[in-house]
Amino acid sequence: MLAVHRDVLNIVQAKFLSAEVVRSIHLNVSAIDGRRCDENRILALVEYNNSFALFILISSKIKPLSISDLSIETVIPIDEYFSCDTEPIEGSQFHIIFIITYKKIVRAFKIEIGLESSNFASEVIRSKEVSLYNKPIFVWLDKYIGTMSEPSHTSDLGQTDTPIIRQHIAQGPSGINRDSMLKYQLKLKEPEFTQKQEFSIFVGTWNVNGQPPSISLRPWLSCDENPPDLYAVGFQEIDLSKEAFLFNDTPREAEWYKYVMEGVHPKAKYKLVGLARLVGMQLVVMVNSQHYPYVKNISVDTIGTGLLGKMGNKGGVGVRMELHNTSLCFVNSHLAAHVDEYERRNQDYKDINARMNFKRTPQAIKDHEQVYWLGDLNYRITDLTTTQVKTLLNRHELPTLLRADQLNQQKERGNVLLDYEEGDIKFQPTYKYDLNTDTFDTSEKARPPAWTDRILWRGKGVYQVAYRSHMDLRLSDHKPVSALFKSEISVVDPSKYRRVHEELLKKMDKYENEYLPQVTVDQTEVVFELVKFRERQTREITIANTGMVPAEFEFIKKLDENSYCKDWLRIIPYCGSINPGEKCDVKLEVCLETDLTKIYDILVLHLKGGKDMFIIINGDCQKSSFTTSISTLCRISVPIMQVTDEQWRLALKDVSESSVLYSVPRELWLIIDHLYRHGLKTRDLFESSALHEEIIRIRDWLDFGSLDPLPGNVQAVAETLLLFLSFTKDPVIPYDVHDACIAAASNFQNCRQIVLQKVSDLHRNVFLYICMFLQEILKYSNDNGYDAKTLASLFGDILLRDQIRNSKPQASRGKSNFVYNFLVNDMSSSIMPHK
Amino acid sequence: MAKKTYDLLFKLLLIGDSGVGKTCILFRFSDDAFTTTFISTIGIDFKIKTVELRGKKIKLQIWDTAGQERFHTITTSYYRGAMGIMLVYDITNEKSFENIVKWLRNIDEHANEDVEKMILGNKCDMTDKRIVSKDRGEMIAREHSIRFMETSAKANINIERAFSELAEAILDKTAGKEPGDPIDRVMVDRRQQSNTTKSCCN
Repeated sequence: MLAVHRDVLNIVQAKFLSAEVVRSIHLNVSAIDGRRCDENRILALVEYNNSFALFILISSKIKPLSISDLSIETVIPIDEYFSCDTEPIEGSQFHIIFIITYKKIVRAFKIEIGLESSNFASEVIRSKEVSLYNKPIFVWLDKYIGTMSEPSHTSDLGQTDTPIIRQHIAQGPSGINRDSMLKYQLKLKEPEFTQKQEFSIFVGTWNVNGQPPSISLRPWLSCDENPPDLYAVGFQEIDLSKEAFLFNDTPREAEWYKYVMEGVHPKAKYKLVGLARLVGMQLVVMVNSQHYPYVKNISVDTIGTGLLGKMGNKGGVGVRMELHNTSLCFVNSHLAAHVDEYERRNQDYKDINARMNFKRTPQAIKDHEQVYWLGDLNYRITDLTTTQVKTLLNRHELPTLLRADQLNQQKERGNVLLDYEEGDIKFQPTYKYDLNTDTFDTSEKARPPAWTDRILWRGKGVYQVAYRSHMDLRLSDHKPVSALFKSEISVVDPSKYRRVHEELLKKMDKYENEYLPQVTVDQTEVVFELVKFRERQTREITIANTGMVPAEFEFIKKLDENSYCKDWLRIIPYCGSINPGEKCDVKLEVCLETDLTKIYDILVLHLKGGKDMFIIINGDCQKSSFTTSISTLCRISVPIMQVTDEQWRLALKDVSESSVLYSVPRELWLIIDHLYRHGLKTRDLFESSALHEEIIRIRDWLDFGSLDPLPGNVQAVAETLLLFLSFTKDPVIPYDVHDACIAAASNFQNCRQIVLQKVSDLHRNVFLYICMFLQEILKYSNDNGYDAKTLASLFGDILLRDQIRNSKPQASRGKSNFVYNFLVNDMSSSIMPHK
Repeated sequence: MAKKTYDLLFKLLLIGDSGVGKTCILFRFSDDAFTTTFISTIGIDFKIKTVELRGKKIKLQIWDTAGQERFHTITTSYYRGAMGIMLVYDITNEKSFENIVKWLRNIDEHANEDVEKMILGNKCDMTDKRIVSKDRGEMIAREHSIRFMETSAKANINIERAFSELAEAILDKTAGKEPGDPIDRVMVDRRQQSNTTKSCCN
């Protein structure tokens, strides 16, 4: 491994726990999948306990120097869903595309072909193989998911596709964006933890007229006694060839860069920060290597404003960076030529400003704290002939000439470089000279001399120390210009920064806690009055939003349960959203249809992104014959509410035949006897719907016993019969013989066999008893309008009712056919009279 | 690109009998405040707090659970996501101490296998009402090889330390595996130190 890699590997490793081992890394990765392609990415293969994951890290510095330069963009577990592949890039011998696929996520990266990439790829492939043999567990990735820099990725991974479980643990705040908040607050407090330090910045510009470098640049770049802290060196017209113009590719870039590196001040070492080039424009920004660790968020951009308004023969190239805590931007521009084209030059300037985008915050040139604008701005001297200019120059009347300078005039009118400052010009015009001389243009065109090459700045704390041209460099028809600045840079005091940062974190934690959804519920225990069979009771609870953000609530199911509440309860609404200060009433409705003695449940009221509250539901239930088993009912002689505890206990145990008192339940006999006497001729006996209160009265009459006659009209009693048969604890025909009944439905003898052999005595009695009663009804079909088919289908679904209620009855036709057999054949002899 | 406000996210859980002071401990840690009115927690609530340990910013998401017996089956279903669990008893309440064993069993059954645990004997400011001696607390902790500390949310004793020790334990639970790691060695020293100075509320 390269030494550089070893350093970075250690830093990347520091991002993880010691048992999470960074197995391999790949530096200088650029994303080419529509994401921020200018950012430096590092891929890291991390192993914990035989489970591997690929981390995509973003590094704010080209080479990270500490863990705080790294942030996690995406975490991808390496399991069966993971795959990677490579693809060649057309026309490139040096780079390939590395593609990572995980379920729906596809990421593509451009990487350099070489030892590093082949090592890394083979490590990833090997880890995938290892993970196929083991059953990797990815719980350890949990803690990184919440730290990922792009929320959209979190959802990519977290919601549908990852094996990572985040059970009931919310991801925290929805109210504020911590990152931007912290950044903003830190900026506000910057004076508290920074101090201004003066840095010397050397800015140079030279139009080299397409000449290849052949002379040392030292007389220009190293003309000062002390080495500057930072260099920004701009060239124009480094290559005037068609190839450079059309393909933006030139060998001159490397050549001039080499000459710059050789020409910088010998008393210091410099490191490249950024190099931007477009056709003939080139900008090289370097820092004294001792400052390099404090440079971050470097970005470059190039803008063409030439032919068609976009070609690169004219335009600007920029490099932005942060040095310590100050944002700096350098722009090298070559604006439109020709004396009369000053408006075109103004427009080029505006276009460069409008279009240059560094794709980081701040993005635009104007948003930087300090901007240095240099280049061949091409503004000329107007209204004076060549001879006049030369005469004034000879008389050293620079002020007169500078008044005729288009840049000064346009700037004064606010048309260009409005907020920029420029130092006093005390040097000769830098254009146009005969090559290799200090003589102004002697050619036929005899262009008037002009200060085309300029350096301006804007921003607080920038002081120009020198502004000059360098006559000794005679390579081009322009002379190079340079300016030396003393600029105030905000340098962070680590201990003060730590204190401010800690305070802010505390403040933000406070915000975050305050912005969690908060509600109160007016009662956490809801007690229902005595709960009776099919008698609805409702209670209301009020959820009040006492927090600062809208609260989305939902009743959620508990582990191992399949609904958010028991089947005897309805919650309306079970989810919703409440604005701060507002309330929501939630109705809890109980309807009992089983033989519970108590209702009890704990509801979990969940706030999205917040807490869960428990609400206890409690209530005693009243016994009812409607939900009791046939065998128990046959063992009690009195109405169910009159039964003593001891009698009840015995009746529940259906062990001995001897304890059976009736061949059919007393209640069933009472209902059927009533219908037999009063309802045989009633038309549509079973079809009309009775009042709820009537049913309740009949229920109480049966359960409590009374000397009064059976209440309710005959239809209500008929409906009660259907209800009774629908809710007995066990169905008349036991669940386990339903399939056999349906299969046998076409053959009476088979049906008979089942009833005689597979159905217990008591259930057989009830079944045949009901069938006999239905046969009685059929005797009066002229009056009541019923035929055997209709009754069979009505009672089939009830006598053979399904185990799961509320769903559409299963195999209705088969059940109906089964019952039909017993309506058209006589089975009365099979009823066993009670001994 | 904005610098991340934290590097790691740890989820911690407070469990223990009703009334031992779980909510007060959390309130002291997150808001540095204390209130004497007792409101039973009926549910699961959480607060966040960012701490810095060994150069890493760690966001703690601390979940406070209902201690009442009737909620136990529900609250255990929240154990799984936790990386650290603080098991709290009340030094003035014998029963809450006896129940530690039951809570530990709960953790074994429902929490992640490698969850970091810590036992806290809370209300250690109430010396005149003390029923459970510190020795007994230490003993049960030793028996189960769990960290132990006596705390007081009211007097602000050991609250901050308890959380940072638990977070640190999560951070370097694998310290033993790499004796060569200098950072981890510092940790071990620290812990030994804290053991010897653990006498603030005897």
